[in-house]
Amino acid sequence: MSAYLVAILTSAGFYVVLALALNLQWGLTGMLNFGVAGFYGLGAYTSALSTELLGLPFVLGFLFAVVVGAAAGLAVAALSARLVGDFLAIATLGFAEIVRFVALNEDWLTRGPRGFPIETRPLPDGLDRNLAAIAYLGLVAALVLVAFAIVERLRTAPFGRVLRAIRDDDVVPATLGKNVFAFRLKAFAIGAALIAAAGSLYAHWVQSISPDHFTTALAIGVWMSLIVGGTGNNRGIVLGATMVMVLLEGSRFLTGIVPGLDAERLSALRIVLIGVVIVAMIRFRPQGLLPEPTIRLEPGGVVTQANQESPR
Amino acid sequence: MTLGITRRRSLVLAGGLLAAPFVLRHARAQDGPIRLGSLTPNTGGGSPFGPEIAQAHRLVVDLVNASGGVDGREIVLTQENSETNPEVAVRAARKLIDADRVIAILGTWSSSVTLGIMPLCQDANVLQFSTSSSESVPLGDRKRLVFNFQPLNPAWGRALARLAIARGFDKIAVMGINNDFTTSMIGTFQGSLEAGGGELVNEPFLYNPNQPSYRAEVERLLSGNPPAVFIPSYVTDFTAVYREIYRAGYEGQVITISLSTGPQFKEAIGEAANGILHGFPVPPLGGDTYEAYLRFVGTEPTGQVQNPFGCAAYDQINSLLLAIKSAGTLEPAALSEAMFAIANPPGTRATTYAEGAELLAAGQDINYDGASSAVDFLDNGMLKSRDFELYEIRDGKDVSIERITSES
Repeated sequence: MSAYLVAILTSAGFYVVLALALNLQWGLTGMLNFGVAGFYGLGAYTSALSTELLGLPFVLGFLFAVVVGAAAGLAVAALSARLVGDFLAIATLGFAEIVRFVALNEDWLTRGPRGFPIETRPLPDGLDRNLAAIAYLGLVAALVLVAFAIVERLRTAPFGRVLRAIRDDDVVPATLGKNVFAFRLKAFAIGAALIAAAGSLYAHWVQSISPDHFTTALAIGVWMSLIVGGTGNNRGIVLGATMVMVLLEGSRFLTGIVPGLDAERLSALRIVLIGVVIVAMIRFRPQGLLPEPTIRLEPGGVVTQANQESPR
Repeated sequence: MTLGITRRRSLVLAGGLLAAPFVLRHARAQDGPIRLGSLTPNTGGGSPFGPEIAQAHRLVVDLVNASGGVDGREIVLTQENSETNPEVAVRAARKLIDADRVIAILGTWSSSVTLGIMPLCQDANVLQFSTSSSESVPLGDRKRLVFNFQPLNPAWGRALARLAIARGFDKIAVMGINNDFTTSMIGTFQGSLEAGGGELVNEPFLYNPNQPSYRAEVERLLSGNPPAVFIPSYVTDFTAVYREIYRAGYEGQVITISLSTGPQFKEAIGEAANGILHGFPVPPLGGDTYEAYLRFVGTEPTGQVQNPFGCAAYDQINSLLLAIKSAGTLEPAALSEAMFAIANPPGTRATTYAEGAELLAAGQDINYDGASSAVDFLDNGMLKSRDFELYEIRDGKDVSIERITSES
């Protein structure tokens, strides 16, 4: 049982990193990224190809994944960030499809739909199954901490204030002399790099990746984490991503407890449940479980952050 | 202080939700029973077949439990949905292995799922019983834990090429859906066609599924007006592809695999479907084992293929239970050896768990003969051979033309 808990926490860790990165792009900067699965897959394949085909150690594969992820993020954003909102969304969706189709069709490189086996693991040899699982959870937890530190620091820094200003109305920071385009590029590239980093760790965890691993369904789970947790609030995101994983995984245990519910019915019901949760959240708590802290300028020029709900 | 959802309450709620199922489940856990997992494609691409696979597993387990289990030990079967998606399947497999402590995972259907959970199963010494055709399936099995109840792609390609030549088609153009299933099938199709004196016209190519239109692909396929075309595909895309072929006014012979021409296809296409040749591995139609299986799951035999994967699932669970009975232990390596012993000749023929268990108890060797095939395995755990049948669609019905046995 505890081994399973470890596995689920590891899975949740990947979701948390993806959701934190998306929060930086969308929650803070207002850049719609529907291509989470694309950057995730890019990181996974980059890392897998570097370690398996080039024989590099995991650390280098991981670094390559981060670099390639950041570069791809820059490229996608540079090509489309001047376009606002929906256009970027379509571009990112297109990017995710490109990644998936390249992985699917460049058989000589990625083994296409047959899947790419990965032997390299970022762990010392000779660990037994349980220890290895716990050690891997440690690695993922470390990534979560690093990602959280980065995005939380960015959020509270002046950089984050500019991002929020861009999100709310990009004319205002532009008028104040901020280079809106450069800020957008940076935010998007950092987010993409974090997603690719998670992809690298994920690839070496599952040890077999195929284009089917990186579909839009995954991106929907990440978006749901934002909606449930609270767009703009990094702590809320951690909570939201964890809850999404609990909803996805915990509901498996309903078979056997609720009479008349078999795996087949339950799997359909689970998708219904996800829909209901999203609708209910949007209807009753659009700001998420933990809303974005509002920032007030008090008399005397003191900036304070309050965690109260913003008036709607 | 409002009565809304505060941060603290949400954390408590989340923690409670996270812990509750594990606590509840843990109270039920105990030693003794034989724990098996069934991971089936109830939704997604495999959804036409997932339910029949899950049903066969469940009904056999219920039957064996009702008659006292295996040597008095109850069988606990946990069923999960793979959603035909390896990302989901890995999490489901983790649950089966680590939370339910299963010794075997049965019923994976698509190759991406079977291959996706393989590193995990190898690591945890868990047996895998699948119906996946990828040539990569035996390659990842370092511990001899994988048994496959479906012939691998090359067997499909060889059988269909032989059937095509037997029908007088020796010049064939080929395109296939781009997935693991068809890529290697095309290579062996070409090899067998050439070995039989035929040849491919045009360069064979792959197309990507879920396209809004297949016109460009179909034009390329039909360029030079080949006398026959072979299109391994699935039902959703083949329906769209065939519409294009029909619209193009093609008068040659269309050959495909039977997975593409199920009831959905015939309903969508209607009369225009007549004349299509298709083939696939079939259970021993009219044989006692296949008909016994159909009646067991509450279906009347009609002479046509029904539940093409359910019958293999029936064989999976029956043979595994017999292997457990024969080995007398749940140790994976011993079970793997026992699988070869009970499934392959020599031995007295047994077609169900009950029959086999009786023979084993009497100290006899058995040779399990299944509802989907003879269930004999090669050294790498892959199926030795299976019947293939070629059909022609006439008046909206599949009419059998020829049956052969293809070695893997």
